[in-house]
This record gives sequence, C-alpha cells and structure tokens, in this order.
Amino acid sequence: MNLFNIISELEKVDPEIMDRLTHRRSAFTALGNFGKKLALASAPIAIGSAFNKAVGQNTLNNVNEVFNYALLLERLEYSFYDQALKAATLTAPLTGVARTAIETIRGHELAHVNLLTAALGTNAAPAPANGFDFGTAFATYASFLTFAQAFEDTGVRAYKGQAGNIDPTLNPMVGGNAVNLLQTALQIHSVEARHAAHIRVMRRGATAGNQTNIFPWVINAEPNGAPAPVYGAGNPVATFPAESNLMQGGLTLTSVGGKTYTAEDVSAAFDEALDSTTVTNIASSVVKF
Amino acid sequence: MQRRSFFRAAGATLATSTLVLAGCKDDEEPATPVVNNVIAFNGFDTTTRQPIDDGVLNYAYLLEQLEAAFYQKVVASPPADLLPGELAYLTDLRDHELIHREYLKALLGSKAYDVSLAAPLEFNFSSLTLTTRVGVWTAARQLEDIGVAAYNGAGKLLVVTSNLLALGKLASVEARHAALVHEILQSDSFASTVGADGLDDAKTPTEVIELIKSFLPVEVSVAALPTT
Repeated sequence: MNLFNIISELEKVDPEIMDRLTHRRSAFTALGNFGKKLALASAPIAIGSAFNKAVGQNTLNNVNEVFNYALLLERLEYSFYDQALKAATLTAPLTGVARTAIETIRGHELAHVNLLTAALGTNAAPAPANGFDFGTAFATYASFLTFAQAFEDTGVRAYKGQAGNIDPTLNPMVGGNAVNLLQTALQIHSVEARHAAHIRVMRRGATAGNQTNIFPWVINAEPNGAPAPVYGAGNPVATFPAESNLMQGGLTLTSVGGKTYTAEDVSAAFDEALDSTTVTNIASSVVKF
Repeated sequence: MQRRSFFRAAGATLATSTLVLAGCKDDEEPATPVVNNVIAFNGFDTTTRQPIDDGVLNYAYLLEQLEAAFYQKVVASPPADLLPGELAYLTDLRDHELIHREYLKALLGSKAYDVSLAAPLEFNFSSLTLTTRVGVWTAARQLEDIGVAAYNGAGKLLVVTSNLLALGKLASVEARHAALVHEILQSDSFASTVGADGLDDAKTPTEVIELIKSFLPVEVSVAALPTT
C-alpha cells in the first residue's frame, strides 16, 4: 500500500489528517485502533480498517492482505524452484554447488510459506487451485536463472513496498512466540536480496555463459533478459521510481559530498520499492496461476 | 566539572562524560572524573519525549561511515593476493558505501552527530588482517552481515514511514553485498546467516554496537534509542 497515495484521499474527508500522519505510530493509533483491537481479540493480524474508505487500486487494505500478498509470492517462488529441481531439462546443468544453492533457496521459500501461513492463521488465503505454470522457464539453465533473477528482484521490491504498511507495534503470537511482524518482513526481505544476489552471481558463471555484465546488484534498470517492468517504475512513480533512479530525498546523488559518482554506482546503491499492483501484473505476465 | 561543553545535535550528543549513559541531567555534577568521549544517540524528542528517528538515522550513518572507511582503506592499499576481479568488486562496494554515507549525512543535515566535530571519526581497523585477501573478505563479511542485521533490527524503531523506506533501500543492497562476500570466501554460503525459519539475522542497536566497538575511537551509547 502506498501511504502517500491515500493521504491525499484521506485529506478530502479529513483535512487534519496530515497532523496525525506525521508519525507512523500515531497514524496507526489514529486510524488503526479498531483493527488493533481486532488483532488482539481474534485474528492473528489485522489492522487499519479505517483505511478502507480511502484505499485505491494500488493499496492493500490491511495487514492480512499484505501478508496474503506475500504468501502468494512465496508460494510462487517455492513452486518455481521445486519445479526447477524436478525438471528433466535441468538435470544436467543444475549440479553440484549450483543445485545445492537452489535447494537452499527452495528451503527458504518453503519456510517463508510456512511462517506466513502460521502468522495468518485462519486468514490465510488458499493456494491457487491449479498451482503455478511457468511455461518454458525451465527449457534451459540460462532461461531458468533469468526467471529466477526476475522473481527474486521482484520479491525484494515487493517486500520493500509493503514495509510501511505494517504497524511496528504488532507482535502477535506465532507458534508460541511473540513475533514482530515488521521485523519479520524485513528479515524475509534481506533473504530475498541474498537470493537475488546469488542468482546473479550464478549467471556470471561458466555454466550460464559467463554473463559478467551481470552484477549482484541492480545497475540502472538493466533487465539482463528479465521482463523490463521488473526494474521499471511503479505507481505512483514518485514513491516507486524505476531502479535507474538517481535521486534520493531530493538529492541527485551522482554529485554529493564534494565528489561525483557514476549513475551505475548510484543506482546500484539503492534498491527501489514497488507497489502491489505492479508486482502482481509482473507475476501474471510470466506465470499462470 | 572541568569540561562542561556538550556538542549537541538534535539526534545525538557528543558528551565528555560517560554519565550521559546514566541519564545524568546537564546541571548535575559528574560523580566520576571525565575519562571517555561518548556519543549518545538520542531517539526521543527532548520536550515531548515522543520517539523521533534522528537517533536511529545517526546509528545507520555511523554504520555506513564504518563500512565506507573500511573499503576506502582496503582499496587504497589492497592485499597483493587478490584474485582477478576482486579489486573491482571492492571498489564497487566502497563506492556504494560512500554513497550511502553521503546520503545519510545529507538526510540528517544539522542533526548528524558529527556536524560539530572538527573532523569525522577515524575508525580503528588494527584488529583486522588486511594484508591478505582472506583477511579482507572475512572482515568484509563480518561488516556486511552486521549491516544487514542492524537494518533488520532497526526498522521497527522508526516512526516516519519515509525513513523506513529510505533505510529499506539500503538494507537490501547490504544483503546483496553480504551474499557476494560470503560466496567469495566459500561456495554456497551466501545465506549462511539464514535460520531454519527462513529469516535473516536481526540485531538490536545494543548488540550491534557491542560487535563494532573495537573499531570505534569513542564510546557509543544507544541507551537513549527506542527499543520497541
């Protein structure tokens, strides 16, 4: 959900909303009390019902929606790696440490699915009835890694795009332990980034054709064969710029602190977030589910 | 009190007494002699006592300063046994961290903890072996993993959404760095910090400062940062 987008909507019905939204915690207090009580009373996680009137297409209504959206992406990723490890076309090229790495990543995605399912409890959405169809993704080792890069880099952007929607004071009990939902999301976010970097390193290797123009980080908005929207702008662009963005906090960072830096370095130094609609559109463009 | 001068900035205080740690008021005399310089990051508004982000942002700024200084030192005098391509990676890492550092410094502006200091802090890397590639990459792995865990633990302490997004943009880049550095040292170790629950490490500011204090020329207190 994009907070900035809905603030303007909320202002139409509540001119003083900006005062209350100065601080994130007070925003949740002002708008989410009902949801918080609901979360404590029954659902494992649920907030922000007061947002409902104002949310638009690019927003997720509450934490349950945020976590169900994450769950769908994690199910997609788990299924992708599981199918890859079982694909006859990849038996020969996907061996040794490469196979071990993909098994490790599949294990993480399964752990994320299980964690999110547990956190959502009865609010967890069912998995897509017909599973996920990745088409020709597993035809070659190179195409498999190209898809993997697209999913992992999209995953990083997707989690980053939702962090601001998770009330930092929500600590529901999951599996007998109090879990801070925002921190949990961030801990998954950095795992997806580690995956993304490693897939990119694998693409530099001989088996994938020595693609040494690919780096562990995202340079400009270079798609490296993945769908261009993975690295493009979201909606609204001011909040979700393309990965080629060079401006942070109003500063163009190619010249800062008395030194100059290349666009490659500046763009690589920041990973940009993406809204849920754009992420879902990217997933739908390459996967049937 | 011999030296009463406090270098105050909104987000941090460079004080001349460890008593800042104990919450001693400005008008109280210290009970012990001044022995250390202390930087105390303050995460609460001095009048309203409401949480503010300046302290956490200064903490992030310190971490980026540390990483940038490390890579600057390594690139300026690289070990002789670096493998082909490794200096290029170290140079990229240096530049990313320099950009992170300068960005946070600009973001903090007059609230940067070191804005009143004559010179930025000089970090002490004497405990590291920087004359071999294994020594350099081992140190880099340590610093990158700390960075990832620090950002994962700090996100929930922020109150302003745009600051959470700002640090999130840096956090995943640190994780990319960490994955690469792990892999350079050992195959398939890119995610060795990830537990069976599928979660990466997260550390509190107190835990992080404990891990980096040997590099710091002054004592850093995070006692005045929010903890939840």
